Amino acid sequence: MTMRDVPHLNGDVPHLPRRAWLLLAALALAGPALAADEDKDLDLIPQTVPAPAAGETNAREPNPPGSKFSGRVFIQNALGFTSLRDDLLVPFPPPLPPRWEERLLADARIEWSLAPDAFVLYSGRLNLLAEENLGFPNRGNVTHDWRELYASVEPRPRDYLDAGRINLKSGVALGFNPTDFFRARAVVDPLTADPSALREDRLGALMVRAQHVGEGASVSAAFAPRVTDPAPIGTDPYRGFDPLFDHTNGSNRWLLKGAMKLGDMDPEAVIFGEDGHWKIGGNVSRPIGQASVAYLEWSGGRRRGILDEAIAFGQRTGTIPPSAPAPLAQGNENRFRSQLALGASYTTESKLTLNLEYHYNEAGFSRSDWDRWFALGDASASLSPRSDPGVSPRRGPGSDLSQELWYIRGYASDFQEPLYRHGIFLRGDWVDFLVPKLELTGFVLADAGDGSALMQLEASYSASDHWTFGVLAGGTTGGRASDFGSLPRAASVLFKATRYF
Amino acid sequence: MFNFLVMPAQAFLVMPAQAFLVMPAQAFLVMPAKAGIRFLLATALAIAPALAFAQDAHEIVTAADAVRNPHEPFRSTLTLTEYVGGRERSHSSFVLFSKEDATRHFRNLLEYAEPPQDAGKRVLLDGRSFWFFDPASQTSVRISAQQRLVGQAAIGDVLTVNLAADYSSTVAGEETIDDAARQKRACWHLEMKAASDTAVYNRIEYWVEKGTSRPVKGKFYSDSGRLLKIIYYRNYVERLGGVRPAEAVILDAVDSSLATIATFGEARFQDVPDAWFQRDYLPRLRVK
Repeated sequence: MTMRDVPHLNGDVPHLPRRAWLLLAALALAGPALAADEDKDLDLIPQTVPAPAAGETNAREPNPPGSKFSGRVFIQNALGFTSLRDDLLVPFPPPLPPRWEERLLADARIEWSLAPDAFVLYSGRLNLLAEENLGFPNRGNVTHDWRELYASVEPRPRDYLDAGRINLKSGVALGFNPTDFFRARAVVDPLTADPSALREDRLGALMVRAQHVGEGASVSAAFAPRVTDPAPIGTDPYRGFDPLFDHTNGSNRWLLKGAMKLGDMDPEAVIFGEDGHWKIGGNVSRPIGQASVAYLEWSGGRRRGILDEAIAFGQRTGTIPPSAPAPLAQGNENRFRSQLALGASYTTESKLTLNLEYHYNEAGFSRSDWDRWFALGDASASLSPRSDPGVSPRRGPGSDLSQELWYIRGYASDFQEPLYRHGIFLRGDWVDFLVPKLELTGFVLADAGDGSALMQLEASYSASDHWTFGVLAGGTTGGRASDFGSLPRAASVLFKATRYF
Repeated sequence: MFNFLVMPAQAFLVMPAQAFLVMPAQAFLVMPAKAGIRFLLATALAIAPALAFAQDAHEIVTAADAVRNPHEPFRSTLTLTEYVGGRERSHSSFVLFSKEDATRHFRNLLEYAEPPQDAGKRVLLDGRSFWFFDPASQTSVRISAQQRLVGQAAIGDVLTVNLAADYSSTVAGEETIDDAARQKRACWHLEMKAASDTAVYNRIEYWVEKGTSRPVKGKFYSDSGRLLKIIYYRNYVERLGGVRPAEAVILDAVDSSLATIATFGEARFQDVPDAWFQRDYLPRLRVK
């Protein structure tokens, strides 16, 4: 039967009851009435929206023929202020975080096409920086974050070989990625605390990488050699144009990764090795209905607790004397320990996307570890002389012991390892909040052990295709003897303006 | 006794078609013979067009799908121009790769070219597998079907889809409506319900021009029954081996000040390997 053969409702049908005729007549009349309602929708088309002439379009080609370069370039000005806690239970050793910072940066990610199957990619950021206690002029006022520079060739279809400085990332979670093994020591001077945004400004590692993308599966292998001794914890503010290979290539690391399409699960498995130690991990995700995605990311391997790892690293890099006593015995046998991120997203019809995640870090601090950390810190502060004015009004800079205690936390931050055992992460992203082009993003990262939290709220408005303005406010909450409540930064606010080219 | 023939006329208007089909057999047994014959006749008359429409609705939607998109894999440029209160507000452009799979579902891979802050971002939509890749973070994030409609206002609406593969359709009637240029079009009015877990919307009203099978208009509803978007298809041109709409006018039914014009530009048939439609290919896509 073709469409034209479909019988019409008003066909000639004898002997119908009168009421049925009335019904059919009503239905026949309803058609034009409904159609008239439909035509009213046309009034919603703005009169200024042009209707192009037949056959004409204004769609543009992304890369004009012959274009050798593609990518993204922007400049950004960021002005930030930070308030510091003056009642820290464990005094923070100087220098304290700056209370104000002004940064003008130029950020570029440019791909230079050498041939149809080969290109060179550069990604980096040039910072002009002024901040409290930095001084001017010196090497600290101008820094360069060299994120990536590598060459890539595709000798056969979907076989790839890359060499150079490469940012290699894995994982499906937003707040914490146990399988993102190359995250250690890669983040420098971030402008945000949002874990999901920290990935944007981190350094790659010198490596070679091979990958094959087949039909329904892919495999890749990477090797990042040790090229220098690892640097002590912390980023030198006077680093200037130092590429910081001592942050990214201070050990031999390798990674094997396989991914496949398995129904709608898209699982990924990873094996990672570093100087003779290895870890395994994987992640999987799956849609739940129309509005949600559930995901799971896990890794595990033989290791010690983060406290002992920090002390061992400090001794290896000369920050902590080998003879220094270990302030906190963590048990610290070298055994299999897991890290986990389990989460789900949900998107509402009003364009709000929420991500809720549970984090588990078996190498993190237990409650008793925290108790001892604060007890030792408090005792050392009581024994140490009072501080210089302006450093910490109630507490002094602390003894060697308190410096060692804070070193442990600096190590965790530098290696992007959570200190907590159990964490809860909630992130919201609201597109077109109240008005079009206004995006509201916020997160709360809570230590489930003590209820303290790190939080941030950002409003970003795209005034045009080239200009974006934003304001970001964040802070930490919790008791003085809590994970986030014991940090020196109490609250901060940042204003930024970005021009894209 | 339940007497079908003396039901008020309004009852017909609100009674769902299924109610005719599930009326218990006992009802026939207790009817007088004459009334039973009348009932059967009226029922047959009521059902016959509905069944015929139901049978053909799928063909109508399939034909309209074929007008919008070819069956062969292709690439196309796409521009989205957003208007707020009638004034142009922002501009985005993309390169889109589409390929139909064995189940008639389209697989899509898309790269942003504009605006500058989004250049290089990529989206993969393959069945229930949706991934968003940002070259700035080198990270792929899995998104839900609903999330693909968030952010860039209309990506989820303009990506290549075969509605016949995701929705069950019935013909609600025949109507003459104005198209986007206010030209009268005699249309099939189709009622579509989500029939697969890859369907983005719960319900769609769809108007397809009789004779040409050109889609004229669609109204798209959420799970809660809320009207989300109204889309007009316009500017039919010779494209990808057929006469196809080069533009879609997307009206935001929630905020009536918002409108988006989706314009399909340069398009050509191109082999798109199946290997492209997976997460690990997203960082490797290079638009040449």
